[in-house]
Amino acid sequence: MKTGFQKRLSTMLTVDFRRMLTSRLFYIVLGICFVAPILILVMTTMMDGTVTVDPQTGKETVIEAFDHVWQIIGTVSGDDAAAGMAMDMTAMCNINLLFFGVAVPVALFVSEEFKCGYAKNLFTVRAKKSDYVVSKTVVCFLWGVAMVIAFFLGSLVGGAVSGLSFEAGVGGGSIALCLLCKVLLMAVFVPIFLCISVAAKEKTWLSIVGGCAVGALLFMMIPALTPLNATVMNLLLCGVGGVVFSLGLGAVSNMILSKTSLV
Amino acid sequence: MNAIEIKGLTKHFGNKVALSGLNMTVPKGAIYGFVGENGSGKSTTEKIICGLLHPDGGEVRLLGRPYTDPEVRAKMGVLIESPGCFPGLSVWNNMKLQAANLGIENADEEIIRILKTVRMEGAASNKYKNCSLGMKQRVGIAMALLGRPSLLVLDEPINGLDADGMRIMREVLTELTAKEGVTVLLSSHLLGELEKIATHYGIVRGGRMIKEMTAEELDASCRTYVALKAREMAVAKAVLCRRYNRVEEDEAGFLRVYDSATPEAVASYLYENGIAVEELCKAKIGLEEFYTDLMKEGKER
Repeated sequence: MKTGFQKRLSTMLTVDFRRMLTSRLFYIVLGICFVAPILILVMTTMMDGTVTVDPQTGKETVIEAFDHVWQIIGTVSGDDAAAGMAMDMTAMCNINLLFFGVAVPVALFVSEEFKCGYAKNLFTVRAKKSDYVVSKTVVCFLWGVAMVIAFFLGSLVGGAVSGLSFEAGVGGGSIALCLLCKVLLMAVFVPIFLCISVAAKEKTWLSIVGGCAVGALLFMMIPALTPLNATVMNLLLCGVGGVVFSLGLGAVSNMILSKTSLV
Repeated sequence: MNAIEIKGLTKHFGNKVALSGLNMTVPKGAIYGFVGENGSGKSTTEKIICGLLHPDGGEVRLLGRPYTDPEVRAKMGVLIESPGCFPGLSVWNNMKLQAANLGIENADEEIIRILKTVRMEGAASNKYKNCSLGMKQRVGIAMALLGRPSLLVLDEPINGLDADGMRIMREVLTELTAKEGVTVLLSSHLLGELEKIATHYGIVRGGRMIKEMTAEELDASCRTYVALKAREMAVAKAVLCRRYNRVEEDEAGFLRVYDSATPEAVASYLYENGIAVEELCKAKIGLEEFYTDLMKEGKER
């Protein structure tokens, strides 16, 4: 009996979604993504204007809080942060960290399958490695999207609690486009981490370290690609990037699984 | 049609040769006992059959098709090394995942049927990590049986099973082959257990198949011997050695006389030499001894 790609993929997706939704890790990660912006916004607001002195050089640094809530989501293009140049706390502690963070759930999700032998059972009965790659890409991408949404909701709550302004000087449409760009950019990062994870197989530490290393290399491009005043062009760039990376690295992951030993 | 046909299979791991031209034929519906020392190439062969390793050379055909054929792969059940369950999930949920992977309709009914078969229905809600070793093995077998496979590859499935577990395993496998025509490739170091169910054997050494035979052929080639206990064992052995070429003392303290000796002839010969015999019987060497002899011959050569 021949089984079509659609049927095969739907069974694989059912399993992966069931695994994701029944795993404690999924809810822990979402919880962290929700709480993190609240803590960042509240704490930086509380510390606003605090002066710290470097005991060795005597240099004074003034801690600056976010100007408005949306700064934790994106910065207006033209700013140093949008150009990937700024290194202050507000430029570093924002939603872009999630593109690093998603490496951890992807690594744990994939490596657990190789560690416990599930992948071995799976690949014995399912010869098509592409099913596995597509299904994992979709599920991990949606996991990443859920993280972005949780962070966004946490930012709203954090903004309300800290009393920060919701006025960013850009329209609501631009903010929505910025968020959409972030969502699409997940489709660039997830295939990278998935590729590293299938290459590392049961070695979780290697997947995480590799993922974070690559994430660090690409980190600077995120603010530039997804500014707060994002346009359709940004959306297009992120979308095309997502498709290219998903297809290209999906093919690489497929090749790794097909050419290497699975035990 | 043969369920498994392997010709000239080779596999290297760096400089180490794991398989050097292994040939293997497993008829459909057979329980094929795959025997060999540690590192002889059994697991490597099984992993290649399961598509988990890529051979360097040779041909592998399963159910008449290339081993990479997705349709063939979908008809396989496997238990290699570990059952492949998520430790934090219950037995039931692990089986649900595997059932979903296989696209089984009426998964709940199928899972209940299989859990009953391996006598695990009472432990379905147990977390896999809390199961005992024997229970984990049974779960592994249950996972392998999901989807009514035509070909089962089981690597050391009876390790960790208690006497009852082994009996259940024998019954399950025998029933599967008899009623559903399932072919079973079974590797085990517990040769005594293997001998109770296997219909065919393959003995592998140094990455090569050195002997393939049916259970009947094994039975025919297993030598008979006369086992005896005499009052003066040392004297009896010395006397018997004068007439028979091969006389050995076994672990149970019996003297074994080979060379087609009959109990009557041995008894009368000892009587003639004034040696009183206390116990005497005719016996046959089993798979374990046959295998040990075969390995010994190979090493001596």
